[in-house]
Amino acid sequence: MTSIQLPTLQSPSTAAARTTCALNACPAGTRVTVVDIECSGDEACRLRSLGFCEGTSVNVIDARDAMLLEVRGTRIALGSALTAGITVRPANARA
Amino acid sequence: MSTLQNPLSPDDSATIPQPAGHRALRVAIIGNPNTGKTTLFNALTGLRQRVGNFAGVTVERVEGGFKGPDGRRVTVLDLPGSYSLSAGSPDEQVALEVLLGRDADRWRPDVVLVVVDAAHLERNLFLASQVIELGVPVVIALNQFDVAEAEGLRIDVPELIHEMGVPIVPTVAKRGEGLEPLKKALIIAAELPAPSRQFAIPEPAQGGLSPLEACLVADGLSATAARMEALRLLGMQRVGPHLDRVPGLAEAIQTASDELRSVGFVPTRLESEVRYAWIAQVIERTVSRARPADSNVSDRIDRFALHRVWGPLIFLVLMVVVFQAVFSWATPLMDGIEAVIASAGRAVGTVLPEGDLRSLIVDGVFAGVGSVLVFLPQIAILFAFIGVLEHSGYMARAAFLMDRIMRRVGLHGKSFIPMLSGYACAVPGIMATRTIEDPKDRLATIMVVPLMSCSARLPVYTLLIGAFVPATSIVPGLTLQGATMLIMYLLGTVVALAVAAIFKRTLLKGPVRPMILELPPYRLPSLKSLGVSVVQRCQLFLQRAGTVILALSIVLWAMATYPKATIDTSLPMAAQQEQQLEHSVLGRIGHGIEPLVRPLGYDWKIGVSIAASFAAREVFVSTMGTIYGVGTENEQALTERLRSEQNAVTGQRAYTPLIAIGLMVFYVFALMCISTIAVTVREAGGGRIGWQWAGLQFAYMLVLAWGSAWLVYAGGTALGFGG
Repeated sequence: MTSIQLPTLQSPSTAAARTTCALNACPAGTRVTVVDIECSGDEACRLRSLGFCEGTSVNVIDARDAMLLEVRGTRIALGSALTAGITVRPANARA
Repeated sequence: MSTLQNPLSPDDSATIPQPAGHRALRVAIIGNPNTGKTTLFNALTGLRQRVGNFAGVTVERVEGGFKGPDGRRVTVLDLPGSYSLSAGSPDEQVALEVLLGRDADRWRPDVVLVVVDAAHLERNLFLASQVIELGVPVVIALNQFDVAEAEGLRIDVPELIHEMGVPIVPTVAKRGEGLEPLKKALIIAAELPAPSRQFAIPEPAQGGLSPLEACLVADGLSATAARMEALRLLGMQRVGPHLDRVPGLAEAIQTASDELRSVGFVPTRLESEVRYAWIAQVIERTVSRARPADSNVSDRIDRFALHRVWGPLIFLVLMVVVFQAVFSWATPLMDGIEAVIASAGRAVGTVLPEGDLRSLIVDGVFAGVGSVLVFLPQIAILFAFIGVLEHSGYMARAAFLMDRIMRRVGLHGKSFIPMLSGYACAVPGIMATRTIEDPKDRLATIMVVPLMSCSARLPVYTLLIGAFVPATSIVPGLTLQGATMLIMYLLGTVVALAVAAIFKRTLLKGPVRPMILELPPYRLPSLKSLGVSVVQRCQLFLQRAGTVILALSIVLWAMATYPKATIDTSLPMAAQQEQQLEHSVLGRIGHGIEPLVRPLGYDWKIGVSIAASFAAREVFVSTMGTIYGVGTENEQALTERLRSEQNAVTGQRAYTPLIAIGLMVFYVFALMCISTIAVTVREAGGGRIGWQWAGLQFAYMLVLAWGSAWLVYAGGTALGFGG
């Protein structure tokens, strides 16, 4: 039986203190960490089962109307209606 | 499920009475899409597959079997591809119900085979970790093992077995590697104790979950399945139909959610967080990189295939190639089939005495069924292309490219795949809409799929184009005939999109669901699996040709032969035949509906053919063969006959190119297919609601067909193209 360490949850105030933005504001080539998924429960479930969850790091491959993303070694495409509601923290904005 | 409380040595196990020993071992296969699950299923079971539906729902159910190494029969059920058991689409719901033994058929597997993609282990282990907790023995097939190795990944299989707690067998389904060990593992696993969760949920969270788990155990779930369900339900925040009779479940979910929030967890995120946290540890211990990853081939292909300019162009070129190939590559094969049927018909004709029986066999059966068999090569080629697009991974790119266009009409990229399948046959196309989660999007797609020109329209197009469109070359590789064919396909497609837009703005008004689509790595398709799917589709088509169309051919022959007219034998043969036909039941029906088709420029004979093909449009060609008494084993004769035929009323040629085009347009739009109607009834919700949608579909398509054919004929005549 393995015990697992969960990432410590951040309170909204500390998350906001770091630079976050909407996923669809990120240009191609950005590496981001998913902070919050704001969409209908069904779509959030679907995203999570594709490995796209809070805390996951994601590479933006292509950003046009829809976005092409690399998640856990797989490639997924997300529509603009979704990417606007996903809050991320770009890796280079951490400092 | 057999749980051995006291594990015995292998020698003793043979003497244990096996209550389930005489019935077949039941194996359910589940896996993410694009893991090679279907390829593995095909490799295990070969062509012995039964295709149907899960009871009460519209999800396709494919069952096959094989003989195990110990001689025991093994039945294999292919569950729909799912990323997890937590997404709530009809597919995932069915999979979950079967695995929990709560589906309508009560088909509970003895062993579950989880197919995972070795090259994308992290994402794939999510589903595996859920299935392991269901209380049924599990075997994991580590498929596409060769790809993982080629990408420089080294997987420590014994360590992975230790971490997951279930037997794991590396396989390369495409080449049939690892199948024997896999079969052996399935048999052995059936006797192993069921696995359970391999990690512990942090204590404060587990405290909140326990009452919810107790509630599920009280309803009869095993302790381990209850733990899996509790996590899943928190993520979904919704009770599925298989649990809707559990007393107090909704309240228990609410209480657990509140409890979790109070100790600092987000209930909807908990499942993905704990599973992926555990998976990350498993991956760290079992997977290493032998060398840095190469620049990815798929990426390099996608740089073109998804390019803003090149992408759509490549897509268009691919479509042109497919249609030109269907039209031209099939020709020699079709000629061959025609020749065989013609000589068979002649051989039978010489054996039988002159009379009605010979006429029935030669003109009815051989001509009718032969005219349909002839199109087998085209259907096979089309399904082979669709199979290649699907198995290679390009289909998802097509959906991505089409998403913007589809979105404009209120659908999304996922509707594109069912519509593309509609080119082959509306029946699988409509069935493929089950991947669309939103019920309104799904219905809108179902309503327009039959507008895509299916393979059954090909005979009609082929006959009319062959007879009235010259084979002039426009550009190298594309003739006027090929171009006309392409235009017919485009016409159906464009109108399908327009009609979908109308539905989505009126009867099926609703928001467009955002696109969530996996773009799998490009792969060379497996020839065997491709072959199996092509053969399967051809068999379905032949079954129709052998049953519905054979029956219709005989009925039609009888209707064209009786009642017998007193014929003036001094007339030429063709005139005699015409006299007989006019006197027959079919002729009378044709005359009856002539007023309806006259505005379209058709005479009663075309009316007869249209009326006869209401059940299956490909019957149009065989009816023409029967009506003109030439059969269709000799397509050249029918073509000649069409060109020279005169309209008895107007005295002009019965078929001008304008009428032929109008007729093709009629067939682009008209829903003349019993199977499609039946599938629409079922997929649109069944019962009265299903019939209402199917009725609406039939009616709007008929209006569209008549209106467009009239527009072509009246408009064309007014513009002076009438001759």
